[in-house]
Amino acid sequence: MIRFILSRGLRAVVTIFLVVTFAFIVLRLSGDPAMQILSVDAPPEAIAAFRNEWGLNQPIWQQFLDYLLNVLHGNFGDSMREGRPAMDIVLEHVGATLMITLPALALKIVIGIPAGIYAALHRNSLADRMTMMISVAGFTVPSFVLALVLVLIFSVHLGWLPSTGNATWKHAILPIVTLGTAGAAILARFTRSAMLEVLGQSYIRAASAKGLIWRQVVTGHALPNAAIPTVTIVGFMIGSLIAGAVVVESVFSWPGIGYLLISAVANRDLAIVQSILLLIALCMVCANLVVDLLYGWIDPRVRLRSAH
Amino acid sequence: MTDTTAETGAPAPRTDLQADPVARGPLARFFENWPLSVLLALGWVFVVLVVAIGADVIAPYSYTGLDLSSRLSPPVFMGGSWAHLLGTDELGRDVFSRLVQSIRMSLLIAFFGTIIATTLGTSLGFLAAHFRGKVEALVLMLIDFQASMPFLIIALAVLAFFGNSLPLFIMLMGFNAWERYARIARGLTISAHEQGYAAAVRQLGASPWRTYGHHILPNIASTLIVSMTLSFPETILMESGLSFLGLGVQPPMTSLGNMVGYGREYITRASWIMLSPALVIVLTTLSISMIGDWLRDRLDPTLQ
Repeated sequence: MIRFILSRGLRAVVTIFLVVTFAFIVLRLSGDPAMQILSVDAPPEAIAAFRNEWGLNQPIWQQFLDYLLNVLHGNFGDSMREGRPAMDIVLEHVGATLMITLPALALKIVIGIPAGIYAALHRNSLADRMTMMISVAGFTVPSFVLALVLVLIFSVHLGWLPSTGNATWKHAILPIVTLGTAGAAILARFTRSAMLEVLGQSYIRAASAKGLIWRQVVTGHALPNAAIPTVTIVGFMIGSLIAGAVVVESVFSWPGIGYLLISAVANRDLAIVQSILLLIALCMVCANLVVDLLYGWIDPRVRLRSAH
Repeated sequence: MTDTTAETGAPAPRTDLQADPVARGPLARFFENWPLSVLLALGWVFVVLVVAIGADVIAPYSYTGLDLSSRLSPPVFMGGSWAHLLGTDELGRDVFSRLVQSIRMSLLIAFFGTIIATTLGTSLGFLAAHFRGKVEALVLMLIDFQASMPFLIIALAVLAFFGNSLPLFIMLMGFNAWERYARIARGLTISAHEQGYAAAVRQLGASPWRTYGHHILPNIASTLIVSMTLSFPETILMESGLSFLGLGVQPPMTSLGNMVGYGREYITRASWIMLSPALVIVLTTLSISMIGDWLRDRLDPTLQ
């Protein structure tokens, strides 16, 4: 078990390092930030001072080492626009994002998992077909289209809900519903196929054969086994709590991480983009790690296999 | 699949297994192999392909052509004139002509993106399976990296900082989902080596190039094609999402996502500008995924 934890932990660290390197390489080699921030016709002295201040004159490996050291010390650089620590600005926006992604996650789980289980237990029924149709739509309707259709119905035609901004709790409803319905559809489909897979196994037949009533077979044998793959997808959803709302935030002008990312990208604010990349990577990798460990804990076959 | 649990209240066995296929007419048997939904999907994909190929012939106006005398005119079914089938936008540009051009652009990007991703992923998968050891560890590490970061975030960073041009954008879409092909190619190649036919041709003196190109690739092609049909719609969605955010295809060129993004500004006054491209995105991705699911069930039950 310890070996299993160590190998997964090492993978997580390597992934984080790759993200840091990727962020550095892409963002530094892609152009001269001094020119972008100060505009081309700024006086040469101003450009030189700027380059000096941000360490842009040093060789690239020196910049990379400095960057790594800074990241290890929790120093993610200052926002070039606002002149204060980028991570502070980023963390200020996390709350707004979680305000819509957490309720959306709850919505996904509360709707998606029961719907998937019900559909699997009543395979080929009308309810199953309806669930599957809706869940296919969840895969194929892009979130910005769903968001705009909801705006069209509830803001433009009915006038019940505001379409942009974050002034009141009412503003959060449409973003939450947009994120929640799409995710619930995906989760329902996933849960259904996990359930069907389990229901086809011989141990379910054995449990029925030894005389358990169907309810006991489902709760005692089918559900725990179907939970294993479902944990993965929920883990992934938890990992993307911060990154998963970029498009939706942009549609609703919701001032979260995604909104900040888009504007930082437009302003070429390197420090902000790097901080967001790292934060997202950290969340994803931690969630994956937890899922991996959980997986190994729930299902002994996994940790035995990977120990070899 | 088992049907022995029926008495205990378990899920009902599949009805199509119970019915005797011979007892029913040829039409019923035909629809069993070719479900109506798949036929409709194939029909829609065919229409979209024809539109994409013949865009210049089909479009009644130039997609950048302005007609300032009929700005924001509604489509025919909302009381507009036949001169502009799907209405016009704020600059009087014909929505139908722009839609046709956008379909071509979006399909083109998704097509090349998928080709690049398949080639890249399959090659890396082959490399990993061929050399094993350090090369494999490196490829697996890259796969881990790609799978652990949301691609939208990576794409945003790359696009905004490298600036944007169409070739770069298509290349970028080629990095979407490559890791899936790499995983499949690696896994299947390793099992191909265990099956012995690969070892046999190698013993006969075939070069690695020949072993992989002539023997292993044809054997794993059906699985790869199925994953291509399944990830093609995802590439369309990624492209339209980025274009919607204004970071994908740049004006004056247009794609389906661009049109929706532009139409968002006019959602209260002229919702038709965004509705028709949105509908095309949904129908196209839906159709291709349905065809992909159907192909998977027919060709490759292992991918479930």
